Amino acid sequence: MTTVTRAEDFTGLRLLANPDCVLREESDDWGVLFNPDTGQACGVNPSGIAVWRALDGRRTVAEVEGWVLTGFPEAPPEAADEIRAFVDELIAGGFALIVE
Amino acid sequence: MSGSAGKTAPAVQRATRAAPGSRKTAPAAPHAAPGSPAVIDTPRSFDVELTARCNSRCVYCFFFDNDAVEYRDLPTADWLGFFDECGRLGVMRLCLAGGEPFMRPDLPELIDGIRRNRMRYGLLSNGSLIDDSIAGVLAASGRCDYVQVSIDGPSASVHDASRGTGSFAAAVRGLECLRRHGVPATVRVTIQHHNVAYLRQTAAFLLDELRLPGFSTNSAGYLGSCRRHADDVLLDVAERQLAMETLVELSERYPGRITAQAGPLAEARMWSRMLRDAHEGRPPLPDRGRLAACGCSRTRLAVRADGSVVICTMLPHAVLGHIGRDDLHEIWLRHPLLVAHRRRREIPLADFQMCRDCPYIDHCTGNCPGLAYTHTGEIDHPSPDACLRLFLEQGGRVPETADV
Repeated sequence: MTTVTRAEDFTGLRLLANPDCVLREESDDWGVLFNPDTGQACGVNPSGIAVWRALDGRRTVAEVEGWVLTGFPEAPPEAADEIRAFVDELIAGGFALIVE
Repeated sequence: MSGSAGKTAPAVQRATRAAPGSRKTAPAAPHAAPGSPAVIDTPRSFDVELTARCNSRCVYCFFFDNDAVEYRDLPTADWLGFFDECGRLGVMRLCLAGGEPFMRPDLPELIDGIRRNRMRYGLLSNGSLIDDSIAGVLAASGRCDYVQVSIDGPSASVHDASRGTGSFAAAVRGLECLRRHGVPATVRVTIQHHNVAYLRQTAAFLLDELRLPGFSTNSAGYLGSCRRHADDVLLDVAERQLAMETLVELSERYPGRITAQAGPLAEARMWSRMLRDAHEGRPPLPDRGRLAACGCSRTRLAVRADGSVVICTMLPHAVLGHIGRDDLHEIWLRHPLLVAHRRRREIPLADFQMCRDCPYIDHCTGNCPGLAYTHTGEIDHPSPDACLRLFLEQGGRVPETADV
C-alpha cells in the first residue's frame, strides 16, 4: 500500500477501505466513519456508505463510481464528481488505502 | 443494514438531493427527536471503572462509600472480552477511570486490547503512579486521547489538604512525565471549600507556570464519600458565587483555556443565559422545561469495576446487566430501565413541587440525574443542587458572562 492524497493521483489503482477504520451504522441509513489512529470521525449518508462498501481492494475509483451510481439511478449528473471528491476525503483522512 | 442498502428507496431519494459523503461532524442521533425513545444503534463510548482500588482517599471522592457498589476488580480476561464486544459494536472511545486506573498492573495489556478493537481511550487519574514506563506505553499505543490529572491547587498545602500528603508533588510529577512522552495531558480542578479562594493562583500555576494549554473545572458534589464530609467540603452559596465570579474573570483573562461541563463555571454560563432569556422573554432553548439533562444515555454507557453495566458512573445503583454475561447491544436497545431513563426528558418540570411557579422553569433542564438521586432518592426528579431559583433566594448572584 502507498499514500496518495488526490484522486487524480490514483486513477486506475485499486482502493481499499482501511481495515483499521470503523463504520458505525447509527440509524437506518446514516453512519459514522471513525479512524481510531487519528480520532477523526465523519458522518456519512447512504451513498457515502455505499462508496465505503465499494472500497473492497478490487475496484478502481472509476469502478467505485460506476458501482455506486448503479445503486442510485436517480442521482444527478454531478454525482460522479461528488463521489470522487468523497474518495479524496477518505484517502486524505486515512479512511481508504491504495492497493498496489 | 445490508450490503445492498444503498439500493433502497429512501437512499435513492436522498442521493438525488444530498451529496454522497461526509459531514464535518458526526451526526447527533439522527432519528432521536426530542421526546422520542429512538436511539442510535450502538453506544459510541463507555465510561469504564477499571478498578475499585485507589492509592488515595480524597475527602470529596464520588466513587467510594456507595452502598450500592461492590468494590472488587475483574480479571484481565473479563475486560479483554468486554473490549472485544465493544469492538464488534463499533464503539469508538473508552474513558478509563476507577478508582485509580494506573493501579492495574495489567494496564498495558488492557490498552493493547482497546487498540486491537479499533478504539481510542482516555484516562482519569490522580497522576501519582504515572512513570516513564507506563507513559511510554500510552504514547506507543497511538490511541490515547488524553490523561486527565487531578490538581486542585497551586501548591501542596492547598492540594494535599483534601487529597493526602505528597499527592501534589506526585501529580505534578506524573503530569510532567506524560508531557515528556508526548501524551496529551489535561488537568481537572475540583473546586470545594478548601481551594475556592485559590482559583487565581491555581490558574496561574497551571496556565502560566506549567504552560498547559488549558484545564477544566467542576466542583465537589454530594456523591460517594463526599456525603460524609459535605459540611466540610461543599461550596456554600457565597463560595459558589465567589467561584463563579472568579472563573468568569479568569475565562476572560485566559480565553478558551478554562472549560467546564459542570460546576461553578458551567452554572455561571447556564444560569446567566437562563436569567437573560427569562427577563427578556426570549423563547427557551430546545428541550427546556423538562427533565432533559443529561443526554449521555443516548450516546454512552458505563461499567463499574465489578463488571456491572450501569446508566452512568454517577448512578452506580442503576444496574442494567453484567459484562460477559449480558448482551450489550440488547441492553443498549431494550433494557427497560435504560429505555425509561431516556424518556426522562419527557417529564415536565411543572410536575414537581419545587419547580412550580418558578420564573425560570421554561429555561431549565432539571440538571444532573445523579445528583438528583443522591439529594432526593429519585432519578426522575430535578436536582435541588442546581436550582437557580434556590440559589438566588439564598442570596446568591449570578455573574454576567460574555459568552451566553
